[in-house]
This record gives sequence, structure tokens and C-alpha cells, in this order.
Amino acid sequence: MDDYKFLFKVVLVGNAGVGKTCLVRRFTQGLFPPGQGATIGVDFMIKTVEVGNEKVKLQIWDTAGQERFRSITQSYYRSAHALILVYDISSQPTFDCLPDWLREIEEYASSKVLRILVGNKIDREDREIPENVGEEFAERHNMYYLETSAKESDNVEKLFMQIAEDLMKQARTRDLPRYDSNNQTIDGRTSTINDSSCCSRLQ
Amino acid sequence: MDFEFPKEFDVIIVGTGVIESILSAAASRVGKRVLHIDENEYYGGQWASFNLEAIMKLKNSQKERIANKSDSNFLSFGNDLFNIKNIDYKFHVLPKKNKVCSEEKDKEVVDNNLQEVSQDDNEETWDEELLIKTSRKFNIDLCPKLQYARGNFVELLISSNIARYSEYRSVTRILTWLNNHLEPLPCSRSDVFANTRVSVVEKRMLMKLLTSLNDEEKETQNYESKTFKEFLTDKKLTSNLVHYVLYGISTSSDHTQCKEGIQKAKRFLNSLGRFGKTPFLFSMYGSGEIPQAFCRLSAVFGGIFALGQPIEGFALNDEKFKSLTVRSQTIKAEHLVMGIENLPKQFIKSKKHDYISRCILITNKSVLDCEKEQLTLIFYPPENNKSFTTIIELGYLTGTCPNNVYLVHLIAKQDTSPQEDFKHIIDKLFINSYHEMAENNHDKPHILWSYYCSINDSNDVELTEDLPKNIFVCPGPDLDLDYDFSVTKAKKIFNAMYPDLEFLPRAPDPEEIIIGDDEITEEAKEITEEAKEITEEAKEITEEAKEITEEAKEITKEMTEEAKEITEEAEETTENEINDVKNEKQETISEERQHTVE
Repeated sequence: MDDYKFLFKVVLVGNAGVGKTCLVRRFTQGLFPPGQGATIGVDFMIKTVEVGNEKVKLQIWDTAGQERFRSITQSYYRSAHALILVYDISSQPTFDCLPDWLREIEEYASSKVLRILVGNKIDREDREIPENVGEEFAERHNMYYLETSAKESDNVEKLFMQIAEDLMKQARTRDLPRYDSNNQTIDGRTSTINDSSCCSRLQ
Repeated sequence: MDFEFPKEFDVIIVGTGVIESILSAAASRVGKRVLHIDENEYYGGQWASFNLEAIMKLKNSQKERIANKSDSNFLSFGNDLFNIKNIDYKFHVLPKKNKVCSEEKDKEVVDNNLQEVSQDDNEETWDEELLIKTSRKFNIDLCPKLQYARGNFVELLISSNIARYSEYRSVTRILTWLNNHLEPLPCSRSDVFANTRVSVVEKRMLMKLLTSLNDEEKETQNYESKTFKEFLTDKKLTSNLVHYVLYGISTSSDHTQCKEGIQKAKRFLNSLGRFGKTPFLFSMYGSGEIPQAFCRLSAVFGGIFALGQPIEGFALNDEKFKSLTVRSQTIKAEHLVMGIENLPKQFIKSKKHDYISRCILITNKSVLDCEKEQLTLIFYPPENNKSFTTIIELGYLTGTCPNNVYLVHLIAKQDTSPQEDFKHIIDKLFINSYHEMAENNHDKPHILWSYYCSINDSNDVELTEDLPKNIFVCPGPDLDLDYDFSVTKAKKIFNAMYPDLEFLPRAPDPEEIIIGDDEITEEAKEITEEAKEITEEAKEITEEAKEITEEAKEITKEMTEEAKEITEEAEETTENEINDVKNEKQETISEERQHTVE
């Protein structure tokens, strides 16, 4: 099972209801709608993809609903390799909140984290934010930009594959956020000095 | 923020301190509906970590508010007793250096401080402006904690699977102040032998003592009412050894009772050799991560979280908590849990309070320079009526400060004031910049910034008897080095609320969860059930087959033996027969011969 070469932590943020969970579920399980009740107890989802003959394991973290009252724990951002900021193209308020999210990201995430802006729900007829507005915003803040539909499965695969590829490239040039491999993850199964944090596999 | 809260919960938790957060996770984990709110915009209350600017914005808050007097059954949260007090901070560096230096520094900040900057270079360049600029790289604990590698807290992190939300670094060395200088505390067998300050005789004595502590019962029979110090002195240990064991290994003071001292020493020794060289772990990015880890688990299991909430108060009915009002919404719950700083004053019985003295320093180098960055714990023994002081020195690798500075925490039971309580230590270990710098004390670290405050130790506070039975109060930070007391306290409250439910059972790993429609899950369940049955059957068959094989084996064995016997017999018979034949033949021959002769 564990025959992957890279493990990357990808986290999603953005207002409640923009489709974060739907994106994750669509990608990891091909499901839509995800069935809200089933999210209880789910911390992150895992999917192994192949990039140029190498197995890459993506660990995708969802907000656990803590974004509703702007109460995301700082530790959620720690040691993330990529960060997907999502808004709903049919909802201006979700776009207007982006600067707030960026502030939070600046504060808690590594400055080298790969950032992607995603305008979700392009299947909807009532678009409020034109594509070029999203694109400009992303450019201004040094982020990738992609529009998706979790419902129609548009660009979802592309989004995560792009992330996997970019992170691989960064890993090769050693330009990833540096998380010290000497940090210890407490693991009940071993009782010796344990250096196998997810980051240490990257080196 | 235009979301509404549901109208009813099983438990409402006010405040996100460590104990409240553990309870939040425990209740959510067993399926209780949890609303967890905090008036602060951040997690952790007095257990939180702050960046440099944020910690300077903390106020000596006096937040007692009087609720609508006309209704004695509606109370407001908060009191003026258990808040942070005597905050006093200052920069010990110039506000701003010359332009060239700070520009260079800017570039470095943009580069994320990853490059190594030579030591001499940086000594010249730290100024107030630069410290402020790197403010976000600081995670400064109000109440820094360490964890015993085999303590209750670490075991809970592992057994509940909460360990996955945080990373840790081992404390790499423990120092103590002895004979007027800092020296390493020999805490393990190899340390004892590697230590050049301990004589061979002392080494033997110390090893003997460390081993004998395991037979505690036998050793301590006559020390029921005596101190640990007396016990050690009676063991005829040298004064250095008494120092190591008393102030180091057992983290005790002169007055610690013998039994407690031995227990503490044992906990220290038991935690050796699990992670790293010392028994202690520190959580990356500061102790403030700990309550957040529990809150994350609570949220994953459905807990609803809201920070920065203007809570109006709560209503009682029939001497029981009934509902809470926040943002004009009234929310009912069976239980109310709150941090003691949120408790209305009328429920607090004791008038006298203990305080914890705190001092936080940013320095330009370690107290004891070393090639590699160290995470240092210092046990500073009581001295001239000053309390025992714990010092923790953190470097860049802990994620609590920028590169090339150190963050130093001093913690002690308050005697007079934070400044007074630590003055003797600061004078010995650090340079207070400006005037002292001229005296050529270049080997000691310079203080760049200092922060003093007092924190209430609310762990022995008595509450009044008329506190409603469905309200539970969590004490704030304590003087202990670790969180074990918090775990005990949280467990106690949990058991009072839910006596029949398990406290933080292991959360499943994402790989173990089957997600999908209930139907699929149901189907999967059935299949699993079937598979189980088949497995069971297969097992039985295997068992039977085994028996048969066994039997067959035995039969074969018996038959083989029989066959052997038969063969042997046959052989014998054959031989006899042959002999007989031979004899007969011979007889015949001889007869013939006789005939011939005749």
C-alpha cells in the first residue's frame, strides 16, 4: 500500500458552501453530492496519483466546518505543501472574502506554499464573477487560477494533477516549504526515536 | 458570519483552554452535539501562543460585567480575578538602525530567513523595527509546557489518535545551575557515565539510587512524613548528587514530600529513551497548538466552533443552567462547561489566590552556546528565598521565533512580583544590553526584548456550593511542567457528565473509513458480515482438516509401526525359515553324505 515516493499535504480554505468538500469527494471518490452526513469523523482524504511514472500520495484536508464562524485552527495550515483557496463564481460575497483568507494564509502558512485560486460551480447559470476578474485577482496575488465544477467534474482532476505535478517539480528542485525532518510525530506503534514525519520522506 | 447557531446542543463550552478543548473533543467523539465558543478571536485563552505584536496588545483585562440586574437568573460571563496581570514589556535594542543594515535585513526577511546569516552580522543588526517586522515568526506562549514522553498526556494523544494534528521536538539538553554556573544534568545511565564532573564514587552512588527508586515501597517506609530532601540526604549522597536528583530528575523543591519526590523522579526516568535524549517533548509552533489539536478533532466529529463571539450571558432555571445567549440567539443545552476566567464572580469562594510569575525574553544567542541548535530546559534551584524556576529556551527550529534569536521562558511560583522573582537569574545569565554591554560580557546572551506578567494559578480555587450541578468549571494553567493534571481534570468532568461513555476512544484513520451512501455502507456491512461468516466457516473447516490430518498422521504412524513390526517379524521369520531351509538342506546333504558314505 505504501509504495509511494512523495506525500504532499494539500489543504482547502474558503467560505462555507463554496464546494470545498464536493471538490475533494469528486476527486477522491468520484462522488457528487458527497452526502453530508458521512463527513463525520473524516479528517482528510487520500488519493495516490501517478506523475511521470512516480507514485504521489495526496493527503487532502478539509476544514471540518470550522470556516463557518472563521474559527479554523492555525495548526490546520501548518506543514501544508499546497493550499487551495475556493470561492463560488455565482456568489459575490465568497469572492469578497478572499482578502481575509489571504491574510490568514499569510499569517499561518509557509511562505513557500503553493497557492491555487479556484472558482467553483461553473455549471451554474447565474455567474456573478467573470472569469477574468478571478484570473486578475489570482495574478495579483501570485496564485494559479482554475475554474471548476465539482458537479460536472470539470477541471477537478486537472486541478489536483496540476498540484501534484508542480509539487513534484518543487520537490526535485528542493524548493518545497521546508519542514524539518527532525520533528517528531508521536506514533503509538513505535517506541523508539521516530523521524518519519511526512516531510522526511521528501528528502 | 450570517450563520445561525442551532437552537439546542448537548453541551455548550465557553473558552478554548486546554481542559475545555479536551472536553470538547471527548464529547464530540462520543456523538454529543457540542457548541464551542470563545469571546477571544484566537484559540487557547491563557494557554495560547501569540506573535510578537499580539502579545504586546494583550491587556490587563478587567472584564467583569454586570448583567441586567433586574433578572437574577440571567448572569453574565467573566470575572476580574483570573486574568493576566502586571503586563510589562520593553525593547532592549534601538528603535532603528542605520538604513543600510535594515535594507539588507529586509531582503533576508523576504527570503524567509532560511539562509544562514553569520552570527556577527546579526548581532549588530537586530533592532525594534526588525523584530516587529518578523513578528509573525514568533509563537510566544503565555504558559509554555513540555510533555513527558511516557506521561498521561502523550499516551492520550496516541490512544485517541490526536497526535496526528501536531508535531514535536525533543528537548535536547537539560541544564541546572550548580556551583555558580550552568551544567548539564546527568539524567540517564550514559549521561551519568559521560559526565566528567561526577566522580567515580558518585557515579556508583547515583546509579544505585536510580535503580533503587523502583523498589519504592521498601525504600520509603520510614519517610511517610518526611521530605524527599531528607530522604536523599540520609542516603549519604554528596551535595552535588542531592542537587541533581532533587532539583533535576525529580523537579522537586526543598519541601516536596518524599513520596511525591520519588513519584516524580520515576516519571522522569520512565520517560527516558522513548523520543530523543531527554524525557521531554515540546510541541512545534508553541504550546498554543495543543488546545487547537483537540478542537480540530471535536470539529471533525461535528462540534461547532465560533471564536470572537460577544456572549451576552446565560440563564438559570430551577438552580440549573438552562440556556446561553449569544448574538441575541438563545441556545439551550444540557450541560455548560467553562474556563474559570468566564465564571461569574459570585460562584468563587476563595479570596486568596496564587500567582505564577512569568518572564519572556528574546535574546541574541543561547545561554550555553553549542554548534547545533539546542532546545534547552533549565532547572534553576531555589536560591536565597527565591522559588524554584523552570527555564525553557527555544530556537528557530521549534517554529516559535525567527532564525538567529532565542525565545526564553521563565516560570516560577510567584513570591513578590515577576521582576523581583527572576532578577537574580537574569543578572547571572543575561546581559541587559546598554550599560552592561560596555563591560565586555560578550559571552552572555543579550536581551533584545523582555516581557513580564502574572498569571493566576486557579487550580486550588474553591467554588461555592450553589454552583448549578450542570455547570462545570475548568481551571486555568498550572505550575506543572506538563499537561497530565489537565488530562486528569478533563477526564473527571467528562465522567461526571457522561459516566457510561468512553473517554476519547481512538479516532479512526482516514484509510479505515468507508464513505458513501448509507446504502453502500449497509451493503459493505453485509458483505463484511458475510465474509466474516465465511472466514469463520473456513476456520472451522481448517480446524477439522487439521484434526483429520492429525488423525491420519497418527494412523499412518501406527500403521507404519505395525508394518515395521510385521516386517521385522517377517524378516525374522524369513531368516528362521532360511536357517531352517539351510539346516534342512544341510541335513539332507549330510544325510546324502551319509548315504554316500554308506
